[in-house]
Amino acid sequence: MATVDERELQINPIVATSVQHNTQVTSNIRNLTASLFGVAAGTLGLESYPGFIFYLVASSVVSVLLFALKAEGQPGKYFYKPLGDMWLGDVFGGLSGFVLTWTLFYGLVRA
Amino acid sequence: MAFFGTVLNTIGALFLTHAIYSAHEHTTAFANTPLPLDITLELLVGVIILSTGIVISADKLKPIQYAKWAGQISQEGRHGEGKYTREGEEILSEGDPYAFLGLDGGIGGKGEGRRGFFDVKGKRKEYDEWVRGKQ
Repeated sequence: MATVDERELQINPIVATSVQHNTQVTSNIRNLTASLFGVAAGTLGLESYPGFIFYLVASSVVSVLLFALKAEGQPGKYFYKPLGDMWLGDVFGGLSGFVLTWTLFYGLVRA
Repeated sequence: MAFFGTVLNTIGALFLTHAIYSAHEHTTAFANTPLPLDITLELLVGVIILSTGIVISADKLKPIQYAKWAGQISQEGRHGEGKYTREGEEILSEGDPYAFLGLDGGIGGKGEGRRGFFDVKGKRKEYDEWVRGKQ
């Protein structure tokens, strides 16, 4: 079935620089908001699983914001695979930043 | 839009800072008690406002389909995006990557037209007229 995809790409080519730019924008947003959610989780004093659940819920809120404000409701226009690149794009890449600020603010504010 | 994003970021940062300060004060005064509801709400509101501001003030996405991307470029042309280099030069958006072909000049136009497809007969006629003018 790869040939169907290839033919589709021949007919409707994809601009690599735009894909790169969009990936960079989303990963920037993900990283910034992930550290922000870490601040919130640490200040709220969340521990263990509730902290990670908080991160997943907050990240899906950011996904909705991306969908509504950045992709203007048409993720197919800006992302090659909207599910992987926009809805889940870089969610787990921001996890390390989240844990970093989570532990820092838990130690500073709550402990 | 960038201004709106900055406003949201500022308001969100103020809320967040105040909430964190309050949480810190609360835990030093009453250790091992749950956080009051108003601090929790202020914190969450601050985080939501700040993340909206971050999403709004991020760069615009670019269309990935070639047709839409090229259509946007030819409609809008090269224009400034409110960003400047350190030397004070304005950074322009992407332009038509095939502009060097001069396709918009054409045979009837002012430009040379598409190189490799220039009007041979027209050039020959021009040359003949020039020779006739010399005689």
